[in-house]
Amino acid sequence: MKSRKGHAMIELAVSAAVMVTFLAGTFQFGYTFYVYNQLVNAVGNGARYAAQRTYRAAADPDIERGNQAIRNLVVYGDAQPAPDAAPVIANLKPENVEVRWVLNGDGAPAAVNVAVRGFSVDAAIQAFAFDGRPSVEFPYVGRYAPAESEP
Amino acid sequence: MRGNPRKGFVLIAMSAAMFLLLAVIGMVFDLGRVYITRNEAQVFTDAASMAAAKQLDGTPQGLSRARTAVAALPNHWNLGTRNFEGVVVDFSADNEHWKPEPDAEELSSLRYARVTAPDNHVDIMFLRAVGGPASLTVPARAVASTKPVRLTQ
Repeated sequence: MKSRKGHAMIELAVSAAVMVTFLAGTFQFGYTFYVYNQLVNAVGNGARYAAQRTYRAAADPDIERGNQAIRNLVVYGDAQPAPDAAPVIANLKPENVEVRWVLNGDGAPAAVNVAVRGFSVDAAIQAFAFDGRPSVEFPYVGRYAPAESEP
Repeated sequence: MRGNPRKGFVLIAMSAAMFLLLAVIGMVFDLGRVYITRNEAQVFTDAASMAAAKQLDGTPQGLSRARTAVAALPNHWNLGTRNFEGVVVDFSADNEHWKPEPDAEELSSLRYARVTAPDNHVDIMFLRAVGGPASLTVPARAVASTKPVRLTQ
């Protein structure tokens, strides 16, 4: 009787270990998928904003300021965020967002590509790194202003 | 040994727990991918419809440029790994009657492009074990006008 009780304990211990591992893995994947979904949304919104925004290209700093507004929209949901704004996704920073313009021969934008670069999702047990994904391209439909500066 | 009602209890309890666990893993893993695909497909069709509408200029060349622009869009699905296949591009003058191949006399009145991505089959891995389907299709559709929204900022 006694030894059988011990058997049951050991069986339970072994199978509980397996289950806890499964549950931990499930949490990790679930959380990572959740964050990835948020990233797809954020990058999509940023690319759409970029596609409709006026492209001011009087000088390189103007283009960079425009790109910064696009990165802010991806990260904070706002092109001009308040100084204490919290990112939409935990730990996402504007540096993690890459804005790449596809230009025509004459320098006018034809499309804009927004992607996540070097962002890792800390899912408690293990971190997943996203580099170049998610990536979204929108055709440029905004106004091209080669002689204007960013306000 | 014989007749002990406790024998095999752990086995039965564990099989029941395993079944529930598979269902939970399936919900997280499979439905997680389904939701991501839904988002990816929606972003793709949004961008593709804008790309198609941008090319419409009342000429047959505009139509073929619109289709080419949709096919050339590099957006992917399934965590950014798969191309969109079977994408349908329709055109309309009134946002109600859609045609993939508009007649020549309609060309100048076309104002809208609609892109449908109907074939995004997400393979189900874990939910199948508890009676789920083998795959779930997550279609998406978007309409864009030839007069795009422009932000003044």
